[in-house]
Amino acid sequence: MRKCIVLFLLGFYSIAVYAHPMPSSVVKLSVLDSYIKGEAKMPLPELESALGHPIASVNTALFTSYFINHIQAVSKSGEWHTTIQSITTNDAQDEAVGKYRQVIVQFTLTPANVNDLRTFTFKYDAIIHQVVTHKALIYIEQDWNNGIQNESGARQAGIIGMDIASGKIYPLQVSLEEGSAWKGFKNMLQLGMRHIKEGTDHLLFLIVLLLPAMLLPEKKEWGKFGGITYSVTNLLKIVTAFTIGHSITLLLGAMGWVRLPGQPVEVLIAVSILVSAAHAMHPIFPRREIFVAGGFGLIHGLAFASVIANLDLGVRQLVLSVLGFNLGIEIMQLLVIIMIVPWLMLLSVNPGYKWFRIGASLLAVVAACGWITERLTIEPNIITTIVDKITPYAGWIILLLMAVSITIYLVKMLSRKTALS
Amino acid sequence: MAFSVAFITKNHRVAGAPVTMSSDTGRNYNPDVIKVEGCPAKAGIKQIICLTDAFKAQLSPEQRQIVQLPYTVSDAKKWNNLPQNMVRADIKAPGLNFGTMTTKQIQYAKAVIKALAGPAANEGWDELQQILNADEYIKANGKNLVAGRYGDNNINIAFLGTPALKGTFEIQYGGHHTAFANTYKDGILVGATPSFRGIEPFDKFVWNGKENQPLQQEQAAFTAMLTALDETQLATAKLNRAYNDILTGPEKDTAFPATPSGVKVSTLSANQKALVLAAINTYVGDVADAGPITKKYTAELNDTYISYAGTTAMINRGDYVRIDGPSVWIEYSCQRGAIFGGTHPHSIWRDKKTDYGGNIQ
Repeated sequence: MRKCIVLFLLGFYSIAVYAHPMPSSVVKLSVLDSYIKGEAKMPLPELESALGHPIASVNTALFTSYFINHIQAVSKSGEWHTTIQSITTNDAQDEAVGKYRQVIVQFTLTPANVNDLRTFTFKYDAIIHQVVTHKALIYIEQDWNNGIQNESGARQAGIIGMDIASGKIYPLQVSLEEGSAWKGFKNMLQLGMRHIKEGTDHLLFLIVLLLPAMLLPEKKEWGKFGGITYSVTNLLKIVTAFTIGHSITLLLGAMGWVRLPGQPVEVLIAVSILVSAAHAMHPIFPRREIFVAGGFGLIHGLAFASVIANLDLGVRQLVLSVLGFNLGIEIMQLLVIIMIVPWLMLLSVNPGYKWFRIGASLLAVVAACGWITERLTIEPNIITTIVDKITPYAGWIILLLMAVSITIYLVKMLSRKTALS
Repeated sequence: MAFSVAFITKNHRVAGAPVTMSSDTGRNYNPDVIKVEGCPAKAGIKQIICLTDAFKAQLSPEQRQIVQLPYTVSDAKKWNNLPQNMVRADIKAPGLNFGTMTTKQIQYAKAVIKALAGPAANEGWDELQQILNADEYIKANGKNLVAGRYGDNNINIAFLGTPALKGTFEIQYGGHHTAFANTYKDGILVGATPSFRGIEPFDKFVWNGKENQPLQQEQAAFTAMLTALDETQLATAKLNRAYNDILTGPEKDTAFPATPSGVKVSTLSANQKALVLAAINTYVGDVADAGPITKKYTAELNDTYISYAGTTAMINRGDYVRIDGPSVWIEYSCQRGAIFGGTHPHSIWRDKKTDYGGNIQ
């Protein structure tokens, strides 16, 4: 997820930096069910040029009315209603101009007729009305019906700036495809799949929890292979419990009924890997795995929910998003299990599986400690850097696992045959 | 500056190790031209062809292929005022980068440009060299710079079309704060624009054994032109909106206002007109063959307009001046310094009829 955001920002950077003495304004629009939510970022020195004097504070009624006047939309049903939610400043950095103060305006645009939401004239000319060398780059950041949302990348809708020949500032005609609920649903499903594919921590928790699932607990140690029926039933129980757990909190979180801050949730997810790794080494909660899977599933679900909760969707889109996203998660989860579990079962028949199980658990412990540290300090460390580098090779690791397990199985079969004859 | 130039030179050699393609060892920083033997002393097309051939003879076959390209308008339009390695790939300038050349090769390349550029102090060739000095100065004194962004080797030279007595060719030279573009047709200079000049720091700095402030003459000429106007003329010349940059930078070809703004030169006194012409000459004088161009702009002077924004000092952020004639178009804009704070100018000279030799209309 972090990688996506970085790429996304780089995309903006390469456009915004080019040939401008001060970066252009960047306006991002999110098309919601009955209105458009927007964010405009602009360099403070350019706003000062537009007003002709230095600015001490932007959080004033004067600026609210300034931005209402210069952020407008109009469509068939007439002028839209503009509200300014907040005006703040922060420090920004651009290589072509160095450090500068940046103004961030959060606003909403509401049409009289909701059917006009996708075809309108965007009359944005903050700064530009006076500083004619300034430009605003307009992006559609979120449009659920067309499968556009922050994580899948914004789309440039156009540039607003003065036309040199006429000296006029033409507004931007925005005309978005109608899109469909199916398109939106499909996008959420893909997002769910990608979330698991790239969410190494979620997968590691589940895989490590499955490491001893085919073994019989004997006193304080993991014992022998419990047979195919036992293994499969046990696996299904654990996976189902995890699914039920994360589905509950995904729904609650996405609906906005439960909301926990991101950082403790992320730390707890890393802790869950630590717990499942400990259990894979020594049975801590034998035959009660489903409660652990379900309990930690609740935590993982909260992280999934944050993806949807940030989208500010209407009820219909929200329900479809939860369904699509969850389905995507399950499909990907199932695919990964199908790709890994058969080889684990094949290996677990051997007494040597113990060393594989303990070795893999130790690696998971190291990764979990790396993540816990990273999420507490908000700084990447050597472990998480290595994990990020290894992740793209996960497919090869599974192939290796497959090759090793099949080889050991064949060697055993052959030696048994030789012994019999 | 408190430290000595010699000290900087020594340090520089150690720090910047450019790729060398011949047996030359190391490279002097921002070297001046070499005296090319056997070329005509008299300026003109024969001298230009001789110097370009001499330069190409110094290059490897691979380098020659990079510098000598066919003439295309699309390549001619590829120039930028940012350091080349900050520019989007699809609009990077064509040609050979100085960072891939030896000192001797650079000196031969510069001999070509020097022959095309004007001879006056702080104009023409001297101005181009001082802009490179500024990039070296940024490299040595700028804080938190990305490695390789600035320096005298981050500049390109290209021959679009083979320099010859017949046919069209352009000699393009540019990089950070510089665009120099002379287009020749059948041996005659048919276009000397777009011509971009900018510099940071604007203030006087010591580098390469001299004091540098090459755009101060331009600033002084514009201020003299504007402050010579009376109150009413000045009010007419004032633009009603703000300019924090030039309008017609890279990729803004053929975009000029349909109606000129400001005060018309025909309404000015002879003395005031002379100051407009003097300001124009700080740009036209950047090319050696300035005579015919000056003649044209003088003839069109009465139909030319001057306008400005900000103050007449041409040193504060937002100070902007424009000379807009039937052919001539000059913009000068003071903007925030990216490296050292304060302000620094960007400016451009275009010709509405003969940009790129008149091949883009």
